[in-house]
Amino acid sequence: MSRGPATAPADVIIVGSGAAGGMAAYSLTKAGLRCLMLEAGRDYDPQQEVNMLAPESDAPLRGSATPDKPFGYFDATVDGGWEVDGEPYTSTEGSGFRWWRPRMLGGRTNHWGRHVPRWGAYDFKPFSRDGLGVDWPIGYDDVAPYYDRVEKMIGVNGGPIGLENHPDSPADCLMPPPAPRVPELLLKATAESMGIPVRAAHTAVLTRDMPDPVAPRSACFNATPCSRGCTIGAMFQTTTSFLPMAKATGRLTVVTDAMVARVLTNQAGRATGVEYVDRKTGVRHRVSARAVVLAAGTGETTRLLLNSGEPGRGLANASGELGRNLTDSTGASFSAFIPGLADRPRYNEDGIGGQHVYIPFWLYQEQQRGELDFARGYHFEVWGRFGVPSPNVLPRVWGADLKKAVRSASGATIGLSLRGEMIPNKQTYCEIDPGVKDRFGIPVLRFAFRFSRHEVNQVAHGRRIAHALFERMNGRILDDPSLPPEKIMAAGGEIIHELGTARMGTDARTSVVDSYGRAWDVDNLVLMDGAIFASGAHKNPTLTILALALRASEQLAARFKSGAFA
Amino acid sequence: MTPSRRTTLQWMIAAAATPLARWMPPASAAEGASTPLLGPIADWPGAPPLPTTKGYGRDPTLMEPKVAWPLTLTRAQRTTIDLLGDMILPADDVSPGAGQLGVGAFIDEWISAPYPTQQGDRATVLGGLDWLDRQSIAQHRKAFAVIGEPMRGTMLDALCAAAPAGKLEMPVKFIDRLRHLFVLGFYTLPEGKKDMGYVGDQPTEGPYPGPSVDARTHLAALLAELKLGVRTT
Ligand SMILES: Cc1cc2nc3c(=O)[nH]c(=O)nc-3n(C[C@H](O)[C@H](O)[C@H](O)COP(=O)(O)OP(=O)(O)OC[C@H]3O[C@@H](n4cnc5c(N)ncnc54)[C@H](O)[C@@H]3O)c2cc1C
Ligand code: SF4
Repeated sequence: MSRGPATAPADVIIVGSGAAGGMAAYSLTKAGLRCLMLEAGRDYDPQQEVNMLAPESDAPLRGSATPDKPFGYFDATVDGGWEVDGEPYTSTEGSGFRWWRPRMLGGRTNHWGRHVPRWGAYDFKPFSRDGLGVDWPIGYDDVAPYYDRVEKMIGVNGGPIGLENHPDSPADCLMPPPAPRVPELLLKATAESMGIPVRAAHTAVLTRDMPDPVAPRSACFNATPCSRGCTIGAMFQTTTSFLPMAKATGRLTVVTDAMVARVLTNQAGRATGVEYVDRKTGVRHRVSARAVVLAAGTGETTRLLLNSGEPGRGLANASGELGRNLTDSTGASFSAFIPGLADRPRYNEDGIGGQHVYIPFWLYQEQQRGELDFARGYHFEVWGRFGVPSPNVLPRVWGADLKKAVRSASGATIGLSLRGEMIPNKQTYCEIDPGVKDRFGIPVLRFAFRFSRHEVNQVAHGRRIAHALFERMNGRILDDPSLPPEKIMAAGGEIIHELGTARMGTDARTSVVDSYGRAWDVDNLVLMDGAIFASGAHKNPTLTILALALRASEQLAARFKSGAFA
Repeated sequence: MTPSRRTTLQWMIAAAATPLARWMPPASAAEGASTPLLGPIADWPGAPPLPTTKGYGRDPTLMEPKVAWPLTLTRAQRTTIDLLGDMILPADDVSPGAGQLGVGAFIDEWISAPYPTQQGDRATVLGGLDWLDRQSIAQHRKAFAVIGEPMRGTMLDALCAAAPAGKLEMPVKFIDRLRHLFVLGFYTLPEGKKDMGYVGDQPTEGPYPGPSVDARTHLAALLAELKLGVRTT
């Protein structure tokens, strides 16, 4: 055991450097606090390491997915994926949760999908609407000003949505969205003819330059796969924005390869610092600070707390809620070959990485009237453009006919990926595995996961809608409509929106933290990632993680100013 | 997660997830353990297992992509693969043949990779190459590479059977996989992209302009045909 490398003792230790940790570092250093950031992964510099323009044919196996690189060779994920060497996790029998983790500075922001919808009023008060789960201690109006600021800070393009529970951003928050592509325009015409809305997606990609003396970012140049990372800074990742900006204040020290094992506390029950293992040498260090921020990602933040404090009970767990209320989004993918799109005229269909439009949930009224057999919503993310047609749209021929078929089928498939809300249930949680430790000797997480009828019915409904859309386009549906919905749903964790294992609330007896992420039981311990979510919503979580981290950081800074940690 | 990668990866996901049964039926369907085009069907041979090798790991140097594993195919096998490549995706006035373009090297790289999908394909491809020779020798007393174009074509036709059964199942699966791999390997090359008329991969400053006039005209016609109005914005 030795003292860590930080020279001056820090005001705040931040564990993790992804969306939440990056926001904390940016906001707290700007507020004048000295921060020590501990990141389990290795140092990472997109400028040096992202092979942005190389063709996929330069990659081994043409960039196909492998167990080493589950999203393909050039994907920016470092040292991680569904498995991290030497850092296992387990599942209770028959539950099969999958946990995505990177081990790199910047965490998952280096390779995420960038879809950043705002959550709406219903999303924060779900219990009030349908009697399931719990309400958040805050509502949309509490978060809205932070959404406004985060959208401007990270750079989001998009347009108005104008639908129930899909709040629009004030005029100056968004950059203009890119023009839709042909398949997206076809989807729009089709869906709108059936009363289903299609709107410009909100995407954390700049469509205008964003000047900054330290970390200037350029508008997207409409060409490369964002999941490799973006050396021009057009897509939001903390490594090209918050982290360099925070470092420029002179108040941020970053230590990478620092695997935090537990939070240290004193007799008075306050956090005094953390203990971490140097991943390269295996040496344990202790570092201290006046406050500790956990932003290691939902599962890891909860694991840290469960491994701290009282053995068997964990830290900040008087409520017993730590590890409970785990959710992930539901996921399923549908696609169809659209003969009308075969042999269509070529043009540059790259645009910004990812979808330009999407289908937001539109059935809130029907749901309120009891006409749906599931609670909560879902949305569809859209894909399909020119490229190599997948084998399932090619005839079983060889020779000249095959070449002709490939040319004709390129760009003729449309896909819809469903993302839906999961309601917390008692069978879905994480806990410490009593027998298994990782290579640092830290006990690992064991997951239990189950979907309820709500999620299964919701996916079945989404499939009917997706297929109806495809049929209206005279499409040939490529997925099997006779499979039970359970069989087409992504496994727990696979949508990588895990949330809720240290939820916030108004009552210390039923929640782990208050609405500022402050642990009820440990006054100077603040949680900032998805662990604190009181429910999931169908909307991707990262914009909300960022907004809540900003809100929590500013409150923490204010408390420092008021002398709370003197 | 939002699908964000270019289509090559979607291809891969689809390739892994799509049962072969969903291929559209071919023109020439063949049934039973023997087919009029082939006569008695040779036994399916086993394939030697992969010697222990390593993958590229979870943190390879992305600026200098490298294939980390040794290749498998003998010179004779590679010749046959290239020959098959030029049959499956032959040269025409738009692009060269897959064999000519060296897509066989990609097939070799693929079946030599120490990952589960690729290992499954290794058994299929190596077994298939061996089988082609056995069948060809049984039928014509000569290895597949030397029986001549028309006879090879007849064999390929037979291996596009819609509902292969019995001894034909594995050989048909072999040609299916090989066709998949050639399509992937060929159309991800610059020459293949050009063949498909792919326009893109070009950094373009300024707002994304959206579809060209031609593309919009085509869409308008499609919308009219589908009675969806003619909105193209
Ligand atoms: C492929 C993909 C696509 C996605 N698409 C979207 C999308 O379109 N929209 C959206 O909203 N969200 C999306 N997400 C989810 C999004 O990435 C996460 O919600 C977000 O990154 C969470 O931020 P975080 O800061 O909580 O965690 P992370 O970004 O995971 O950062 C946590 C960091 O903490 C480090 N860490 C972990 N344990 C320790 C420890 N013990 N000690 C020290 N450091 C530790 C990790 O190494 C990591 O760097 C996607 C994710 C992936 C992988
Ligand atoms: S598409 Fe745009 S945002 Fe994405 S990596 Fe390329 S330049 Fe960056």
